Amino acid sequence: MDMDAMQLFNIVLTGVLRGGLYALMAVGLSLVFGVMNIPNFAHGEFYMLGAYFSYFAYSYFHFGPISSILLAAVGTFILGAITEKTLFYPLRKRSKKNWIMNTFLLTLGISIVLQNSAKMLWGNTYRGITQYWPGKVSIASFNISNDRIVGFCIAMVTIAIFWIFLNKTTMGRAIRAVSQDETGASIVGVNLNVIHTLTFALSCLLAGLAGAILLSISPAYPFMGIQPLYKSWFVLILVGMGNIGASIYGGLLVGLLETFAYMKFGSGWQDVVSLVIIIMILIFKPRGLFAKKGVKSVSE
Amino acid sequence: MEKAESSFTKGVRFTGKFGFTPLGLAMLFVLAIFPLVLQDEVITRLLISALMLGALAMAFDFTAGFININNFGYAAFWGVGAYTSALLAVKLGVSPWLGMLAGGILAGLLGLGLGFLTLRLAGIFASCMTWFVALAMFAVTANWVELTRGTSGLSVPPLFNTTGNIEYFYTILIMTVLTYVGLKVIIKSHIGTAFRAIGQDLQAAQASGINVTKYKIMNFTISCAIAGVLGGFYAHFVGIITPTVMNTSHTVEVMVLSFVGGRGTIWGGLIAGLVMIPGMEYLKGLMELRLLIYGVLMITVMIFFPSGLAGLYYKVVQFIRKNATLTKFKK
Repeated sequence: MDMDAMQLFNIVLTGVLRGGLYALMAVGLSLVFGVMNIPNFAHGEFYMLGAYFSYFAYSYFHFGPISSILLAAVGTFILGAITEKTLFYPLRKRSKKNWIMNTFLLTLGISIVLQNSAKMLWGNTYRGITQYWPGKVSIASFNISNDRIVGFCIAMVTIAIFWIFLNKTTMGRAIRAVSQDETGASIVGVNLNVIHTLTFALSCLLAGLAGAILLSISPAYPFMGIQPLYKSWFVLILVGMGNIGASIYGGLLVGLLETFAYMKFGSGWQDVVSLVIIIMILIFKPRGLFAKKGVKSVSE
Repeated sequence: MEKAESSFTKGVRFTGKFGFTPLGLAMLFVLAIFPLVLQDEVITRLLISALMLGALAMAFDFTAGFININNFGYAAFWGVGAYTSALLAVKLGVSPWLGMLAGGILAGLLGLGLGFLTLRLAGIFASCMTWFVALAMFAVTANWVELTRGTSGLSVPPLFNTTGNIEYFYTILIMTVLTYVGLKVIIKSHIGTAFRAIGQDLQAAQASGINVTKYKIMNFTISCAIAGVLGGFYAHFVGIITPTVMNTSHTVEVMVLSFVGGRGTIWGGLIAGLVMIPGMEYLKGLMELRLLIYGVLMITVMIFFPSGLAGLYYKVVQFIRKNATLTKFKK
């Protein structure tokens, strides 16, 4: 199949855009797993909630695009904080046995509740908007819609802000401290409960942001979170869990991989190809592509 | 002078070797005559589903509850069994009974292969790997239309040429009992002890000289093979299969049954199945609310009853025993 420059450009662009949003979600997922040791399978549902919040803000309350997206982010942040306080906090207090499996099933329960609540409240129909920012940009003979550009920029800016937050601020350092050694962090005075709630809320914020940004491209419906969830987990495993920074590269990688596979093999076999590649990587590099010291060990 | 063992006690000890307490046997008896007494096709179908999922949950617990690996791609092995048996029957006219066995063998072989690939990885990574493999198998099944007819579905010849469900019920009942006894016997043997050691503390197990990889793979293969046989049954029971049998939601269903029933007990999954499947069906009128209740139930169980129904049962038994001995002393 001949791929001319236009097609190639389109592929790369789509791949990068999707990758950017995957990166956003993967960073959140990685954060929660690294800091709280929770494999969050409800992550996709916060993506879904972000999309819905933004939809309602934009279409019903007629907020502007930026406000809608920000509102979605704040909404999912608050919801995430509430979830953590009401569900994970009691479990932490009760028993830490089999923590990973218990929390995993807990997040599954949360995901079921959120999906079906959305279905009950807002119906099974697609809630979409045509676009946030009308118009498009033309570079030479290539067209890119404004939505995609601004969306991608928001995603990148968020990741950059997040990066600075984690590395330069006290709170961010506290989060990293907890991810490395909980006991040690509490000894030096870090308030574990606050950090846990904050981490989870931030993770949900990132997912919600991704959902809100993509609203014009992919409309909201109750089960929209399943695909992004899978993809986020691909990125996480590919990159090596607990490695927040590398999740960014991983996200872009998965996005590009996916789009290339789609172009070459069609939508049916695209999943198989992507999965096979990821499986191969896992076999030969079980610590993930970007394994580094301090990353949770993969092999035994 | 020692009192000679009464024959009842001897009987209990004998059946105990196969994992049956008197209570369990009584319940099994009730279950066995239930459809004969009730003669209701709907309830019989329900029980068939409950038993099949219960058996799957038991085999799942065999891996998750003992060597602490969650086979998150479990539905794919079930699906492989279903498709193998179905395709053998459709394309080569093989008898469904042989087909089920073949399904089990193929699923077991796949489990063996997957085990070699993934069991070096730690806990959740092995789980994710099995998940990815299952997703890949799902995609392959859906897209290899020439072989499997993809999403249009594959018609499968039934196990019995009757309109009733009673024969299916007794087939699955026997299969479930065999699964339970087989798994329990293995668990009670030194192999089971090795499994438990691996699940609790891998390095200590290695230090005691257990070949960890061998036991892990053995466990995984058996669990997957059982799923395959049950998948074959499913195919010939339902009569039509689509790639969605390999959907992750089925794995989740089995996993929930296994955990709500109680990790590491084997029978927990079966009881949970017998309670929850009819329960969910009963609430069908509530539509989405039903699933909502399901989710809330999961959340509640995970937070407040992490040891599941079995844990609850043992607590009750302990409570009764404690009070029984106290009254003895009061005399």
